[in-house]
Amino acid sequence: MSIKQKLLEAVGAERFSDAPEVLEAYSKDFSLAPQGTPDYVVKPKDAQEVQRVIKFANEHRLPVVPASSGVHFHGATIPRRGGIVLDLSGMSQILEVDELNRRVRIEAGVTWEQLTGALGKKGFRMMMPLLPHPRRSVVTDWLEREVPTNTVYDYGEPLQSMEVVWPTGEIFRTGSASVAGYPDSPSKGANPSGPGLDFYRLLQGAQGTMGVVTWANLKIEYIPKMDKVLFAPVSDLNYAIEFLYRVLRLRIIQECLLLSNINLVAIAAQDDLEKLRASLPPWALILVMSGMQRRPEEQLHYEEEALYKVAKSEFPQISLAGKLPGLSASGNKFLPLLRQPWPDKATYWKNRGKGACSSLFFITKPTLAPRFIERVKEVAARHNYSQADIGVYLQPIEHNRACHLEFNFFYDPNNNSEVERVKKLYRDAAPVLLEEGALFTRPYGELAKLVYGRAAGYTATLKRVKKLFDPNNIMNPGNLCF
Amino acid sequence: MAISREAYKVVKSIVGAEYISTDPVVCEGYRAGPGGYECGLGYERVMTKVPACVIMPRTTEEVQKIVKACNRYKVPYVPYSTGWYGARSHPHVADELLIDMKRMDDFEIDEKHLYAVVGTGVIYSQLQEEAMKRGMYIVVGGGGSQVSAIANMIGDGWSPLSYRVGLPHRRILGTELVLPDGEIVRMGSLALQDDPFWGDGLGPDLRGLLRGFTGLRGCLGIVTRMAIKLLPFQPERLTPSGISPDTTLQLPEKRVKWINFSMPSKDAMRRAMYEMARAEIGGGVTKVPIFWRAIARARSKEEFWELWSKENEGSISSFHLLRVLLIGFASEEQLEYEERVLTDIITELGGEARRTRPTDESWFKNADSAGMWLMCGGYVSVDYVIETIEHAIPHGENYARLKRKFTPPLMPDYGDPGWFQSFELGHQGYSEFLVYWDPDENTDGVDHFYLETSKENIRKRFYTSLLGPHQPLYLTGPAYGPNYHKWLLAVKNEFDPNFVCHPPLPLAHDQFVERADWMKPMKDWESPEIKP
Amino acid sequence: MLKGKTSLDVTQLENFEYDMSKCIKCKGCNWVDHIYMPGVRFSTRCPSATRYLFDSYGAYGKMRIGLALLEGRLDYSEELLKTIYACTLCGACDVGCKRNLDLEIELTLEALRIRAVKDGKGPMPQHKKVARNILKKHNRFGAPHENRGKWLPEGIKPSPGADVLYFVGCSAAYTNPEIAQATVKILNASGTPFMLMPDEWCCGNMLYSVGMIDEAKKLAQRNLDAVRQSGAKTLLLSCAEGYRMWKVDYPKMLNIATADLGFRVVHLVELIDELVKKGALKLSKRVNLRLTYHDSCSLSRLSEPWTPWEGERGIWGTVTPPLERRRGSNGVYQPPRDILKAIPGVELVEMIRMRENAFCCGAGRGTMEAFPDFALWAAEQRLTEVKEVGAQAIVSACPWCKDNFTRAVNQNGGKLKVYDISELVLASIEV
Repeated sequence: MSIKQKLLEAVGAERFSDAPEVLEAYSKDFSLAPQGTPDYVVKPKDAQEVQRVIKFANEHRLPVVPASSGVHFHGATIPRRGGIVLDLSGMSQILEVDELNRRVRIEAGVTWEQLTGALGKKGFRMMMPLLPHPRRSVVTDWLEREVPTNTVYDYGEPLQSMEVVWPTGEIFRTGSASVAGYPDSPSKGANPSGPGLDFYRLLQGAQGTMGVVTWANLKIEYIPKMDKVLFAPVSDLNYAIEFLYRVLRLRIIQECLLLSNINLVAIAAQDDLEKLRASLPPWALILVMSGMQRRPEEQLHYEEEALYKVAKSEFPQISLAGKLPGLSASGNKFLPLLRQPWPDKATYWKNRGKGACSSLFFITKPTLAPRFIERVKEVAARHNYSQADIGVYLQPIEHNRACHLEFNFFYDPNNNSEVERVKKLYRDAAPVLLEEGALFTRPYGELAKLVYGRAAGYTATLKRVKKLFDPNNIMNPGNLCF
Repeated sequence: MAISREAYKVVKSIVGAEYISTDPVVCEGYRAGPGGYECGLGYERVMTKVPACVIMPRTTEEVQKIVKACNRYKVPYVPYSTGWYGARSHPHVADELLIDMKRMDDFEIDEKHLYAVVGTGVIYSQLQEEAMKRGMYIVVGGGGSQVSAIANMIGDGWSPLSYRVGLPHRRILGTELVLPDGEIVRMGSLALQDDPFWGDGLGPDLRGLLRGFTGLRGCLGIVTRMAIKLLPFQPERLTPSGISPDTTLQLPEKRVKWINFSMPSKDAMRRAMYEMARAEIGGGVTKVPIFWRAIARARSKEEFWELWSKENEGSISSFHLLRVLLIGFASEEQLEYEERVLTDIITELGGEARRTRPTDESWFKNADSAGMWLMCGGYVSVDYVIETIEHAIPHGENYARLKRKFTPPLMPDYGDPGWFQSFELGHQGYSEFLVYWDPDENTDGVDHFYLETSKENIRKRFYTSLLGPHQPLYLTGPAYGPNYHKWLLAVKNEFDPNFVCHPPLPLAHDQFVERADWMKPMKDWESPEIKP
Repeated sequence: MLKGKTSLDVTQLENFEYDMSKCIKCKGCNWVDHIYMPGVRFSTRCPSATRYLFDSYGAYGKMRIGLALLEGRLDYSEELLKTIYACTLCGACDVGCKRNLDLEIELTLEALRIRAVKDGKGPMPQHKKVARNILKKHNRFGAPHENRGKWLPEGIKPSPGADVLYFVGCSAAYTNPEIAQATVKILNASGTPFMLMPDEWCCGNMLYSVGMIDEAKKLAQRNLDAVRQSGAKTLLLSCAEGYRMWKVDYPKMLNIATADLGFRVVHLVELIDELVKKGALKLSKRVNLRLTYHDSCSLSRLSEPWTPWEGERGIWGTVTPPLERRRGSNGVYQPPRDILKAIPGVELVEMIRMRENAFCCGAGRGTMEAFPDFALWAAEQRLTEVKEVGAQAIVSACPWCKDNFTRAVNQNGGKLKVYDISELVLASIEV
């Protein structure tokens, strides 16, 4: 029996495909990562089926690449060495909505669109990164440590306990879901840590190399009763960042972000992108204050008092208003852009401008952002990439203790020279930023070689751990440093 | 008892003669018991030993060299920050080297980015004061502010203030770990640069090796440096006042306030916690077990017992005191707002505010934790679980029932089901169960109870903090995960091939059961041969 | 004795078996009270633990070592004696422990020394030399006894039969006459008649402190008889160590209560405070000085009166009859501060570690004699704190402190002034 026949037997024809057009769909994504075609695609329906595939893969030394989303941006699910793509998008049940403990348990294939809709009906929301694609897997985005737009919660990440199928084939529950018989137990799975080791940490940022997560518990929040969206036009970025250092510590702001005008245009423009761009300031600071469940207007009141006290006395150049001049989707009309996934399945906001976008992002201290921006501009200039066309997104994290800084390089995917230029620009910019102190905690694609090459100690230890969990190196081999 | 002469020469040359000793008097000073956390019990008597040698390094490089020497010469070693954790943090085998980390007390603070960088010798009260001077605060773990911040951040790390702030795991930033075999792994931003401001891994996060739920007690390496998140606070000073033993922090009442509420029932208390969490108000919240109040009022052990003997099952079951901390982070107006919301909630649930002193001696600086030993001289937290409030309440009730069978030798608590609180603004809940006994009486029953709690958790499918080295690994392992022990042992074997890092953890409690005659009958689970 | 009959009698180390076996290693005996914790600097108050670092030098180590000694698990050695004696018995450990618990740390440490002497192993050779001086020449220096009264200045006359008997002490008599002279001038200026001992002998501080209790007790009885015979109503001291001896350790050795001595034991600062507040002493001359006050251990933490106790220890370690423990709350903290604040021109700044958190000067209880480097080191530690708060002078109420600080200043150069409080008060009154 050939491998294919054995695999077919193991998973059943319903779950299996190796049709060329199916394989091709998994061989590329929205990133500039080189193509890589799998040999087979399997779409499991439950953990036992996942387990069967993994056991099979171990037996036959076949790579397994888990993919839970309908759309990918970083190349992490493109097989580098063929093998089996394990597509979990069909495992898309919302298993529990636990309103009392503000928790939801969802399978890996549940999308942002699906979840936001279901939660919204009950008055709940989940913290979100900026405008996730509606077909992205919620679990994957949190596993991959996407940075939320909400800066007020000290407990940050929504991820709690999970079910995982280890690369060796065992089905395992992490955190407090590890009790026997879960969910038939007093434990709700609200604690991510343990048992014994913090397995959840090893699965975060792993890009599918450490195991296959089949479901996860995540925190949900109430939709505030009242919101107030404020904008400030910014030309002095340093000044705006200092303002954020001051006000985000007061714990009065929910969502907060800084966008360069080209990004704001991509997000908010109705039709004429160029026209809007011409009327917008170089940067926009967007803040949301909210009144939660009780006496919301009183809450908003003290928040506004505190905010304006600081703004007026210490940062007179920041002029906060409910509208951003030039932007029709101002005020509370902007709110859905922060509380919903991107509405258009066909064209992601980053691709609105030119059709495609290459993103370079990392974690840093907000005060260093202007310096990084300068460096990127210098590199861009060397490649004749117009500075004005660079998209920048600064996402403060947790009271502005750090930030996610993202650079978006737009290009026409059908124009070869643009594609090549952006590739080279990216390749040149990354080491410059790394040298300057950029912390690439999510080293996608060719970033991995650069980053792990610089972190010998970390890499060596990581490999030792990986070997314990995946002795045959079947999980997404060739990815990260594996 | 000694470490080999060769080994001694080598490690002495690393730190210098002033910072190493094999003198039996010096070593006796490091004995675990008989007093201390979880001391005066069988585990401490059977499993702990006085070190053969004590060494005090100053830098990570020295620690690494010492660990490498221990691997070369097969010298078992144990890291020791303050020695507070009791039996489990002390040497367990003969001829062991105790690495006393107190000289590693470097301290830096980045006020703008809300973090401090500490060595293992820095304790919480130092860190809290440095934070509070600059308008920030930390959560001082329930163990007390006398504990090493690093040791607690990789072991426990919560208090009623965790209500707003949540798990300590997320407050660990860049960290330096000397692995059991002497390799160093730098985590978070330290993997790439000198500034430990961020904790996420490069890809998979190796902070996963640091603790599990409640720590590995030092058997998977030595953390020598850690950046810890500080939290924005409010600007007014909490002023120390009073003379020992009545020292306390005077709270700036318009910005920081505790309020005690008597609630009509436990369910009302539970609902109050949920409602507060829903409204996202408060800086801390907890149920107050009645015996805490007795400890606070008693000026002596004898007075405690006088007060305590007036209680009974009836008075315990009808005492529902909720203690809430309000913090006006943004302004006085915020505190006023939160107090109005809180009053709404309490009124809806039929509760009543009690007169509450505008002071804190327990939780900001947690200066009171040693008071846990006042009553009986012996104390251990026999379980403490972060899960949900729904888990916390039956967990506590279940324990109260189990505990009756073991009272005496446990101190009578009239069925008090421990304390519980809300965590992470209601996303989690917490239950803790504390037990006390007279260490100068027969304590076998306490040892039995401790193990019985693990079995009970397994039977009833409760989550528990007492995993890893805290209970027999072959008992808990198959029950959680399942088989988490397989991974823990695989990691342990990989990084400690010579088994020199705090042996025999994580199998110490397994060994205890094999060695102690009164424990053997309790073994009803499978395990490979554990050498006694 | 873990259960059954027990007492606070320091001649039996067994009486402290419970205390030694219940130390939980919280190190509250070393850390500044966490409520007052100032941060990463100046965070400890045990000079021994801070200097020697090994756990054996903190009370947490000493309790374990004491227990091992009691149980025959440890033999005497040079290291053991150093552990017991490189310690100023400053009481920081006792007060620190008693914030939360009820362990008698200080009494245990005293009992350990008494035991070491009883077993023929203690005290240190340097202590024996001092003991010989005291027993032969009635002063710790071995100076001629007949010179003891030479400090008395011209024009000041004691009044036989006065209510107040000024017990000068060896230091003020021989090495710090400025203190005794200031004291009697202050008494004079306030119209307070005083008498002196007809034949003043050393209070025996060194004897008791190093564990030579038999000799100390004999001397105490002799001294007590002499004071009783004088008819004094108040025994006045300008030395904190002497104050503690008379108020606490004499009753302790003789198994009586402080209240049963038959007279009040008063330190000069208590008297001056009283006199100033009732207007009998006018602090009118300016003393322009930015200074800080050092709480001498024996005047502060260790100064609460003594009541003998014996009883039973039962279940949970509870004792009967009830026992009011001495926790350092009622030390003489405020009077010296009130005095200094009342002197015009004085700017009083507090050190970071004050009152019951004060860091001992390092001199007392045999430390300076047997471990002079350690004593100097402790003084230097304290002086960095003085510098930290920007004071020009350090003031205390004990010649031992004054001496040790002076030694440290002289050793390291520097312009810091070291005063006894009596000198400042004298400078502020019209004489």
